[in-house]
Amino acid sequence: MENIFIILLGLSMIYIAATSRLAAHVNMLIAQGWLLFFVCLTGFAKEPWFNWTMISGPASIAANMPHIIGFLFVIVETLIVKAFVIPLFLKKVVKKTGAHRDTDANIPHFYCLFISSVILFAGILIANIDAPQFKLVDSMYFGVSIAVIITSLWLITIKHKVLSNVIGFITMENGIFLLSLSVAKEMPIIVNLGVLLDIFIAVFILGMLVKEINNEFEDLEVSQLSDLKDYEYND
Amino acid sequence: MINLILLFPLLACLILFIFKKKFLNNLMVNLYAIIHFVVSLALCFNMDFLPAWSGNKFFAVDDTNKIFLIAMSVVFLAVAIYNNGYLKNNEELTRKIRHYTYMMLFFVFSMTGAVLSTNLGITWVFIEGTTLASAYLIYFHKTKHSIEAAWKYVFICSIGIALAFVGIILLTIATGNLNTLFYNDLYNNAQLFNPFWLKLSFVFILFGIGTKMGLAPVHFWLPDAHAEAPSPISALLSATLLNSAFLMILNVFRITVFAGCDGYARIMLLVMGFLSLFITAVFVYHINNYKRMLAYSSIENMGILAIGTALGGIGMLAAMIHLVGHSLIKASFFLTSGNILELYGTKKIKSVTGLLKTDRKTGWLWIISFLGISAFPPSVLFISEFLMIKSMFMKNHFILCGLFLLLLTIIIYGLGKAVIKMTFSEKTEDISPKDFGWNMYLPQILMLAAAFITGIYMPQGFTKMILAAVAGF
Repeated sequence: MENIFIILLGLSMIYIAATSRLAAHVNMLIAQGWLLFFVCLTGFAKEPWFNWTMISGPASIAANMPHIIGFLFVIVETLIVKAFVIPLFLKKVVKKTGAHRDTDANIPHFYCLFISSVILFAGILIANIDAPQFKLVDSMYFGVSIAVIITSLWLITIKHKVLSNVIGFITMENGIFLLSLSVAKEMPIIVNLGVLLDIFIAVFILGMLVKEINNEFEDLEVSQLSDLKDYEYND
Repeated sequence: MINLILLFPLLACLILFIFKKKFLNNLMVNLYAIIHFVVSLALCFNMDFLPAWSGNKFFAVDDTNKIFLIAMSVVFLAVAIYNNGYLKNNEELTRKIRHYTYMMLFFVFSMTGAVLSTNLGITWVFIEGTTLASAYLIYFHKTKHSIEAAWKYVFICSIGIALAFVGIILLTIATGNLNTLFYNDLYNNAQLFNPFWLKLSFVFILFGIGTKMGLAPVHFWLPDAHAEAPSPISALLSATLLNSAFLMILNVFRITVFAGCDGYARIMLLVMGFLSLFITAVFVYHINNYKRMLAYSSIENMGILAIGTALGGIGMLAAMIHLVGHSLIKASFFLTSGNILELYGTKKIKSVTGLLKTDRKTGWLWIISFLGISAFPPSVLFISEFLMIKSMFMKNHFILCGLFLLLLTIIIYGLGKAVIKMTFSEKTEDISPKDFGWNMYLPQILMLAAAFITGIYMPQGFTKMILAAVAGF
């Protein structure tokens, strides 16, 4: 069941690679947030404690407290932060800066479609490597998450708008989140909280900087940000 | 007592937020610097005078992070003293002092957290925290260039640190059935780890945190950020932030040592170290901005640390001495560059002429800092670099040693050319000298004195501390 959601997540990266409208990218971020939530949910559904009796009375709530906290945390992380707050914030930034499209990418969209498909395919191939080392991870999660991370890094290098770079950063974080699910181990909740807070603030700061760049520079192109050099340099 | 240095900045921010008094801002920074210094000294000499405040399993001092903590608190104290004078001469800073203070407190807090943490995950959180806290400080002047520098800094470092998190996840795969990220547990069980995943995780963590540490080829944010930040912040960035990133690499490297697959890690560190030296040698030769020049020198010194770590044994010992010496001298170098910027109003090497005639004290500080950083005896860096060369000889790495010396010579020539041109040339423009006050000279003098005195006489306690720090590498 969760494989469907994971593969959909991989496909969403292909869509991001092939389209140039920033609004569509932001919508895909919302979709990725939901998909990650469903992936987690199917993971929880396999646990013996996960049913309605868990919250049937004060006694059972107290007994299942760590599980409930973990579950609530996942809801906050995927649904609230990844699928709601960050996309909403980015939509505001898009509206304010008026940068709706990321055209003239270094590589035409058709090739982007092709290359990102190849990366996803390679990821799925990795998932099926029959080596003793790979017994330690859940292969489908691992392969697709690697594909998502690599596609994001690659998109960051070819896109022209600074906002697309921020979106690439967030999809990379989504890929890393999926990778962390491939290891059937939980990090301490304090680490998880810290990671979430850091990513959230990083996106927030990047968004603020995008607004500042929009005020100071003529265009939101990455190429504008190349004034600091070592040789002919005026300051 | 550890809780005191971690909670005080948060408390200070709260106080500043409630009582919006201007004089409190600077007071809080100074107070924190003093508390940081006293507490660090006490922790390093095992004199816990507040035992009730140290009950926390996530933060502790151990033999290795003591050195980093003490270097940080000395530099922070110096920067805080300098800051008092810097604020008087800088109207822009005085206007926006509140945000500046908040972020400076958060910045030092997150670096302290990263250094003291006993858990790999928590260290990661704090290292990313340093990026976020210092972003505003780099962006402080709100010019086009500072936006560009801040953007590059946040973006490149965040991606690097995210890749380091991939490394941490791969490390948890390597640990097998062990479900913990505490360093001590990782060290104790390192022999059971899966070597394939451990090596892979080291690559990611080295490249990810290496971005933050400023190792080539992932150093691109560093010259921009160091050049655009206000000078006290540049000093903090170079002398403390890079060290705290280095500590995380060192801790993960130690896991590979215990797991017995350190040969691979050493080669990677060696390659990145030499690449850093090479990049600096190439760029510093034609540089025309003196703050960028210092930033490149930081890349060089981080490269030397990586080389020392890779060599192990005496090399590791040399790296630790180098770390302390570099922090002291580079902080004083950057603070002095703040004086020059105030005097001349430009960062161009060409436009700065006759520094000794304009401001004698600043000129001499600039020269002595240069002598210190180029490992001119009795600078403590002379001892560390000498030991490093000795270590290369002992291991029969003669070609590496030759390359090391050649690159260092080129770098010293590049730095020296600029420094001599700035100080000893004739004055071409009429620059009126400014009265900076003692607190814009004293911190540099003290730090340089410490660096040069330890070059002649190393106190017993300091030697013991360094020997304890490198045990096991």
